[in-house]
Amino acid sequence: MVDHLLLMLWHALLVAVFFAFLWRRSPRDRGLLFLKTFLIMVLGAIALGWLMYPFP
Amino acid sequence: MSTNAKDRTGKGTQPVTGAPPLLLAAAWLIPGLGHWILGKRVRAVVFAVVIVSAFVTGILIQGELGTPRPGEPFSWLATLACLGNGLLYVVRLLWVNGLHGVFSGAFPYGILGGGDPVAAGFAYGNTFLYTGGLMNLLVVLDVADIARGEKD
Repeated sequence: MVDHLLLMLWHALLVAVFFAFLWRRSPRDRGLLFLKTFLIMVLGAIALGWLMYPFP
Repeated sequence: MSTNAKDRTGKGTQPVTGAPPLLLAAAWLIPGLGHWILGKRVRAVVFAVVIVSAFVTGILIQGELGTPRPGEPFSWLATLACLGNGLLYVVRLLWVNGLHGVFSGAFPYGILGGGDPVAAGFAYGNTFLYTGGLMNLLVVLDVADIARGEKD
């Protein structure tokens, strides 16, 4: 059984970790970028889902 | 090709040489290997784990590797994205098609990408495969920048 939300979270996690290590050097900066990227992806996707809800 | 790197005053400093092609090839072939060779061990392990995880996830949920298809120009983009996975892509293609299947008379067309189009995770699997490949291509660019001294 494929859980869509879980897959989205997993994808967001991988991408956020990747860019945190690609673009930042200090642990603090990496942590901040990871959180920012992860939250934007997840919350943005949920928000977009609700925005699309009224449309068929 | 060499160019002089300039500091902020515009004065020339020292020659900037290109990254060794073998290093870039190694970075593409095995995710994380380029950073490992350059001594960036933590990043190497992280990138390897992330990219391999994305690829394996894509395969497990029945995603299909991008392969060229006649009459579908965007299939070449999908192929390029998945090709970014390096050896993982090659091994998976050989697993699905066999050596003879890959280099048949219709090459580069006619190669199967695996996966199951009717599976619930098919589209998501494709996304993971494309993402993994594109991340590895970014890793190769990062290796090139570090090798040239433009980045730490």
